[in-house]
Amino acid sequence: MTAAAPQSRREASGWLVLAFAAIALLSLAIATFLGVVDLPPADIVAALTGHGSSEARSIILDIRLPRILTGILAGIHFAVAGLLLQSITRNPLADPSLMGISQGAMLAVSGFLVFTVYVHDPGSNTLQELPLNWLPAIGTIGGVLAGGFIYAIAFRRDLGPLRITLCGIAVGAVLHAIGIGMIAGWGSARIEVLLEWFSGSLYARSWEHVVFLLPFTLAGLAILPLVRRPLELLRFEASVARSFGLAYSRQFSLALLIACCLAASAVGVVGPVVFVGLIVPHLARFIAGRRFDLVLPLAIALGAITVTLGDLVGRLLGQAEEIPIGVITAICGVPVLIALLRRTT
Amino acid sequence: MKKPMLSCSGLSVKYGRREALSDFSLSLAPGEIRALIGPNGSGKSTALQALAGLTRPVAGSAAIGDRAVAYMSRREIARHLAFLPQQPVAPDEMTVEQLVRQGRFTHVGLFRGYGPRDEEAIRWALESTGLADFADRGLRELSGGERQRAWISAALAQEAQILLLDEPTSFLDIGYQIEVLDLVYRLSRERGVGIVMAIHDLNQAMSICDRISLLEKGRLVFDGQAHALADSGLIEKVFRVQGRFVQLATEAPPHFDVHLSRWRDITP
Repeated sequence: MTAAAPQSRREASGWLVLAFAAIALLSLAIATFLGVVDLPPADIVAALTGHGSSEARSIILDIRLPRILTGILAGIHFAVAGLLLQSITRNPLADPSLMGISQGAMLAVSGFLVFTVYVHDPGSNTLQELPLNWLPAIGTIGGVLAGGFIYAIAFRRDLGPLRITLCGIAVGAVLHAIGIGMIAGWGSARIEVLLEWFSGSLYARSWEHVVFLLPFTLAGLAILPLVRRPLELLRFEASVARSFGLAYSRQFSLALLIACCLAASAVGVVGPVVFVGLIVPHLARFIAGRRFDLVLPLAIALGAITVTLGDLVGRLLGQAEEIPIGVITAICGVPVLIALLRRTT
Repeated sequence: MKKPMLSCSGLSVKYGRREALSDFSLSLAPGEIRALIGPNGSGKSTALQALAGLTRPVAGSAAIGDRAVAYMSRREIARHLAFLPQQPVAPDEMTVEQLVRQGRFTHVGLFRGYGPRDEEAIRWALESTGLADFADRGLRELSGGERQRAWISAALAQEAQILLLDEPTSFLDIGYQIEVLDLVYRLSRERGVGIVMAIHDLNQAMSICDRISLLEKGRLVFDGQAHALADSGLIEKVFRVQGRFVQLATEAPPHFDVHLSRWRDITP
């Protein structure tokens, strides 16, 4: 092997990541310029630079942009969380919904809504001001608690990856059942809000949501370089990874904690957008091939791209009655997953 | 005798209530090859794992030099000691070179890039195992023997002075078995690497190893050289077989010739 070969390979890798970053930016631009309300491109540019009509400014700056940015951040969260979970559980099917994190957030949110609404006005069936501002924080706490609970169960015995996956599935199923039961026994007029959130939606997401997510994103991305190499080693069985010099339990816990925080905060804001956490890591691995160092940056870019474009499709197809992003990703995700499975086996 | 690089005394390991290893002692000198033999379930793997600090003993302790393994970080241990478990599994799409590169983790840590020193170690590890031309092959494309050599290569890349191998020759055909054993011998003699390996083939153990530890039900019943083992009569008892030790040449180690019931009536 010559020294030149890895050099040129590294350059090619850099270009690939740049290309996907460019696609992510491009999808951001497309999503800004296309929408249910047809605005001329000139108006949009004017609105972005702080000029133009107040209507265009309101649509672009108050509605579209925060919604797209929320989607990008959530997409990054789901993709990175899925990649982390798949690596540490050595289970290609692991994702936030499989590991009980999404269900924990769902139960917390439905429990919170039922509780607060009944406390404030018992018996009424009217759609009045639900405490929606609290949902992201409540969902995040619920998701992290569920993750922590699963971790605690798995940790008390042995940190076996299969055991932690099974725990996740079991706990997730129970939490889901309780959450659904709670909604079923609840007034019908309010169900709509929850259903929309449960299907994973970017509808009416505002700057508040961006501000809520951004600290998690930044903190998560800042810690990622720390887990880059351990992540490769965590894909071996524990005895091998430890023999190579990895502090297995500590690195496993750290990766799980990051995954929990990212996934739970995203679920809290947009609801469980299924399949992004499952498919994007596979897609990233497929594109990266044997260049393992590319998987993480590609997953970040692809997470942003899938959610942005998925939401755009949902907005354009449904027009006023838009299709939630979670429905789009689920529908598009299945064929992608099947195609990937066929390629790898 | 040279100062031991790896030692343990009074080592006991329990799995639940079952005592898998009791009061096990061993000391390994630089450049020494030590065989661990014994029937299935006699505690060979457990002994290796306890020596590598992967299993917490209920009594006794293992030490690298004069430092207790229990008080060293995993990274520190990996710099001195490489351990290859039985039938290890690697992530699917990994190549030989990528596997071998993991052996450098103990040196590069979380952040530092791979320097010329690391690349050199990786190249040496690949060449020593005859895998330089296979570097970019996926592990799944390899034969069993090649894959086993790739794992040994990863252990070599750690550049540890102590090498623990759990049945490195099992599931290999005789050609690859000899290749692995020759490599082990070269490492010990040329690089002064101290090696402990669990091995099933008694004759290979006697011919390549400087000392042999015989385990029975978690207890050490013999620790010494091949000739003494042959004279002890323990092999027939522990493995429940009939046989005899023969001397094939004056300088050669003893060779165990096992009796099969089919040939019982034929006397040499």
